[in-house]
Amino acid sequence: MALKESEAIVLRTYPLREADLLVTLFTRAEGKVRGVARSAKKSKRRFGGALEPLTYVRAYYEDRERQELARLDSCEVLESPLATEVGYPRAVALAHVAELLDELLPDRETNDAAFRLALSVIAGLRGADVWMPVTYFELWMTRLMGYLPDLGECMICGRPLNGSRAFFHALTDGLMCVDDKRLASSEISGDSRVLAAHMFRAPVENFAGTRWPKKQGSDLRKFLIQTLQRHIEKKLVTAGMLEKISA
Amino acid sequence: MSKFAEPMVRLIDSLKKLPGIGAKSAQRLAFHILRSSDEDAEGLAAAVRDVKAKLRLCSNCNNITDVDPCVYCSSATRNQRMVCVVEEPTNIAAIEKTKHFNGVYHVLHGSISPLHGVGPDQLRISNLMRRVDDGQVDEVILATNPTIEGEATATYLSGQLRRAGLKVTRIAMGIPVGSDIEYADEITMLKAMEGRREL
Repeated sequence: MALKESEAIVLRTYPLREADLLVTLFTRAEGKVRGVARSAKKSKRRFGGALEPLTYVRAYYEDRERQELARLDSCEVLESPLATEVGYPRAVALAHVAELLDELLPDRETNDAAFRLALSVIAGLRGADVWMPVTYFELWMTRLMGYLPDLGECMICGRPLNGSRAFFHALTDGLMCVDDKRLASSEISGDSRVLAAHMFRAPVENFAGTRWPKKQGSDLRKFLIQTLQRHIEKKLVTAGMLEKISA
Repeated sequence: MSKFAEPMVRLIDSLKKLPGIGAKSAQRLAFHILRSSDEDAEGLAAAVRDVKAKLRLCSNCNNITDVDPCVYCSSATRNQRMVCVVEEPTNIAAIEKTKHFNGVYHVLHGSISPLHGVGPDQLRISNLMRRVDDGQVDEVILATNPTIEGEATATYLSGQLRRAGLKVTRIAMGIPVGSDIEYADEITMLKAMEGRREL
């Protein structure tokens, strides 16, 4: 079969047999593709640092007849997260982006919007501030996957929530007004809802440069993570690690 | 009915659990052990038993050892004030091969790996900080792998260690000796340029 070529983002690698790596790529051309990089563990000659998570590469791979896994021929690095310092918060944020993409995207389904979003957020994660790009990514991924409910009205009574208090619960979709909130609900502030509305109207670059403490949008992030975890029916490992990072 | 006698099946099954050993290799190794002398087979069994029974971690540096403190930590000829931090005990052998490092080690037993839920709390950092706080260390060399996980670990440790006013250094990254610059990938070349030195 002919060698395929696509821009891709490396999501994860797993050791396979003695010297191979099983690589999950998010390709622009075909969506999420899993492939085997032969001898990648033993020899760094062909792949070098190209298989580090969140590296933006040009990947060359071929599908094999009657086999689920592609054969990864080579990867050319276009941009590497290792080019700038990898501090602990940045490492966790990058891993979070990789985990969300890996868990949310279906195999072999093109999603150019998610690809562009991932590239711009990875670029936004070059600085020390991680909370803005993480919030932006979680919000847009929830929307692109079709999991984001209407943030403007109560899911129970349909009353508009503009300017009034709103609540969310781990086991329900959408927001609730003060009268319909369930026991053990958490509140999402009006500021966070305004922030979400701003983020839907502007690219991530527009939010760069302003200081984002961890507290800003933390209720929005909690709501988004609960929504995503409910849909994928599993806990996100990196969400818990992000929570533990001090402001 | 099984192809082999039960003890043979058990040995093959045990060998199959080793990394890189498939069914065929396990069968070949099992027959090799069967044909070897009683003395050799007993020696192998005793070696496996001893590895589990006698080896432990050095209380000072976390290296795998049969004596505590380990040979490096108890050596009078090594510079005990220069500590090289590595991810795994196997990394020590690679550094020792150079015959140029005369300091001691500290083994973290892993690196920060958010995707696997491994943060700084899961690494063996506390006894390194204890050595530093006790004033036993002048320089720490961070020799974690040049991966995102290794870099995150090194950056985290350097932040912690610098607070104690120590000299903290990171091993160089770049073009492997004997290779060709033409074939170096972009990130390796970038690191090599960043880490260039004056001649």
